[in-house]
Amino acid sequence: MKIKGFLKDVTGASRVTKARLNAFQTASAQAEKTDPIANVVKEWHPGKTELRVTEIREASKTAKTVRFERVDGKKMPYFRAGTFVVLDFTIGDSVISRPYSISSAPYEGRLGNGYLEITVRRSRGDGFIADHINDNVKPGDVFPALIGCGQFYYEPLRDAKHVVALAGGVGITPFASMAKEVANGTLDMDLTILYGSVFSDDIVMKKELDAIKSNRVHIVHVLSGDEPDWDGERGFLTAELIKKYAAEDTSYFICGPQAMYTFLREELKKLDIPQRRIRFEVFGQAKDITTFAGYPTEMKDKTFQLTVRRGIREDVIPAKATESIVVALERAGIRIETACRSGECGFCRTKVIRGSVYICPENDGRRAADKDFGYVHACAAYPTSDLTIKIPIE
Amino acid sequence: MKFYKDHYDVIVIGGALAGLSAALMLAEKGKDVLVLERHNLPGGIASSFVRGGIEIEASLHEMMSIGEKNNRLKVGKFFDDMGVDVDWLKVPEAYHASIPGVEATFHPGLETFAKEVDEQVPGTYGKVLKLLQLCDTVFNSVNELSIHPMSKAKMLLKHEAFVKTAGYSTQEVIDSFHLPQKAQDLLAPYWIYVGTGFSELPFTIFAVLMADYIGYGSFLPRKFSHEMSLKMAERAEEMGVQIEYRQQVDKILVKDGRVTGVRTARGDEISADYVICSAYPNKVYTSMIEPANAVPTEAIKMLNGRRISLTAFSVIMILDKTAEELGIKDYSVFHGDTMDTDELYRDLKGLGPYRYLTCICHNLANPDATPAGTCSYSITTLPRVDGWKTVKAEDYDTVRRTVAKQMIDEMSKYLGVNLMDHILEIVIETPMTVNRYTNAWNGCIYGYAHTMEDHIVARLQTAEAESFIKGLEFSGAHQISGDGMGPAVTNGRKAAKNVLDAMAASKEAAK
Repeated sequence: MKIKGFLKDVTGASRVTKARLNAFQTASAQAEKTDPIANVVKEWHPGKTELRVTEIREASKTAKTVRFERVDGKKMPYFRAGTFVVLDFTIGDSVISRPYSISSAPYEGRLGNGYLEITVRRSRGDGFIADHINDNVKPGDVFPALIGCGQFYYEPLRDAKHVVALAGGVGITPFASMAKEVANGTLDMDLTILYGSVFSDDIVMKKELDAIKSNRVHIVHVLSGDEPDWDGERGFLTAELIKKYAAEDTSYFICGPQAMYTFLREELKKLDIPQRRIRFEVFGQAKDITTFAGYPTEMKDKTFQLTVRRGIREDVIPAKATESIVVALERAGIRIETACRSGECGFCRTKVIRGSVYICPENDGRRAADKDFGYVHACAAYPTSDLTIKIPIE
Repeated sequence: MKFYKDHYDVIVIGGALAGLSAALMLAEKGKDVLVLERHNLPGGIASSFVRGGIEIEASLHEMMSIGEKNNRLKVGKFFDDMGVDVDWLKVPEAYHASIPGVEATFHPGLETFAKEVDEQVPGTYGKVLKLLQLCDTVFNSVNELSIHPMSKAKMLLKHEAFVKTAGYSTQEVIDSFHLPQKAQDLLAPYWIYVGTGFSELPFTIFAVLMADYIGYGSFLPRKFSHEMSLKMAERAEEMGVQIEYRQQVDKILVKDGRVTGVRTARGDEISADYVICSAYPNKVYTSMIEPANAVPTEAIKMLNGRRISLTAFSVIMILDKTAEELGIKDYSVFHGDTMDTDELYRDLKGLGPYRYLTCICHNLANPDATPAGTCSYSITTLPRVDGWKTVKAEDYDTVRRTVAKQMIDEMSKYLGVNLMDHILEIVIETPMTVNRYTNAWNGCIYGYAHTMEDHIVARLQTAEAESFIKGLEFSGAHQISGDGMGPAVTNGRKAAKNVLDAMAASKEAAK
């Protein structure tokens, strides 16, 4: 065979080898250490960032807004309105993480003293971190944070220009962030917020919401309580009410308590809305796992033995049937990284080597192959026998 | 109580395909191996994620070098030999070419493919088949020589075609067949899988690409590439490999020119005789070696003498109709407004509109890839890093959406369906996404460009001289075989083989 000529053909290998060595010999000896792509990533996703509390103020009679700035004095990373921040709290020997929707707007994080805010309502006895924030956190406190997590944000390539937000209680926070960003002219959407509260003094962030002046943001308060002087909308966020505020093509974003999700799923069904136009924020940690379909209620009072492998190390701790594996680890002071605590993000992906678990059906965000090999998202997995698991070393 | 043993035979940095392949091979030889992976799951970009309850493939289009169960190619055979039991699905066609003057689907099999080209450009069957057979001959030589190296004289006798084409670019060899331009165009669509224009691309690489894909077809795991990555990891652990996730290695520790271990971001110092590293040499030699002065100038000059290859930009969508309802007929479509690969390659330096798009609909190889009534559809281009290096953080969101929208609009026009009306979920993967999840240098997925100045044959010749630190081996797309998931496995095995050879040599020397 012949390509160009015998001699040229058979010397090809030495020719290309020489060419390569020559390229190296004539190259610069100056090391190029910077990676511009990685630098953009660091500005969007810097990883754990230390935040210091600079201000705490009332957001309603039962909620507080906490403002943070970065300990290193830099601006906040870029993030999308609607996403959440994960804060690490050290309580006793345990480090416990919690996700909170960011209630300030992304642009506020890029101002001179770039700040970020969360708004947290005192719990009704089931959220000890929420109470901890309301009772104990004070200016000057420092928390490691992961900023801008989750998928609950307006995506112009997917969502309708007009968004109807359905908010309940403290579920207003991601929409407050969006509303401020829209009013600032940095988020191109039309936002109508239907915000359900019981009484007018339950409305979280009322003053701030009232202060938003933009012809693209409309906030409609809906009260379910019996308040004689109220001249606004009344009742629940029913299909009828939603229809009144919808445009021809509307995306619906929903954030609020779990009971509201159950209610709204039924209401939205009545409106015959395409699936792609409905977006729920993650469900959150199940309030009472025993109430979910298929939960083995005969187990509910049991405490199992949880063997935890990290590297070649093994620890044995107790694990209650009604608490997720994550909670068992946190109680025992074993650090596990979590973010959404709704089984979606997979931060707490854990291998179950032996034993069985119940997975909260609302929060099963596992990959198919992971299911085959016993991986669970530990925030949504509840022990139903003694267990051996493997988690990352933190 | 400690998390790590006092010492390992080998530490593997990076639990993706290359690193896991190396770990499997070393474990099979009874070596004590620790894999450190910075993410919380294996696979690197060979992975999947769940959005809105739907699992979505992160990167894999099609795997080469697998082969049918009774006729495995090298990667398929390696998986079988290691007991990594992947549920492979065969991709139904080679590709649908949507290029100027052609709308046609081509199928694997050298004769079949040549016939299909002949249908488009009558009278070319003989020449095209001959070219494909040449590719196949070179492919077989490469496979044999990678296992049994031999002298140059012997090589010329036994592997004449390989030797005689090694010094030429793809275009030079194709030119010697005197094919009409349209037939040449029909041989070009896979170029993007190796990522350089034909005037620069070594024919050796083109030959392997064509012989493997066209000759044997391609495959994908039923449960996305995560199935493959996870099964490799699970099997490795079964064989005694310790894998630790969420452990980023910050430093590779060197003493007297020899690797002694690593230090993780957590601060653990772990001792080992050998380190196999999947991080790019650019990262390693500029910031990971401790002490930094253990890096010779030659290593830096080598980095600067090579060209970083392609990164990725992908718009991945779950659509709210079936492929049939949307008129999507082919698993993979290569859609371009020219088939001049040199021109396309030059264009990839920019930020779009990109002119050569690869579209994949997983449901057409795997009907159950998404829930009933939906389908997945991804549009991918593989840009060069140049343009993306100029994007500022504050513009990033706008730039990625602009590029994504251009690609969606282009394919909407092609399909005659406005894809924007059907998006259930959308994920835009950029060079920044790749960097975020894998730390890959410049977000590059293809290692160093295959060029006539960085030829695979030359890489093989000089590999030993480029081992600058004793006990440190590299594995990943940046190694000899270059980009792609199949080559990643081969690169990992090569690193493991180098370690095993070095272990044997030092044992011999100790006698």
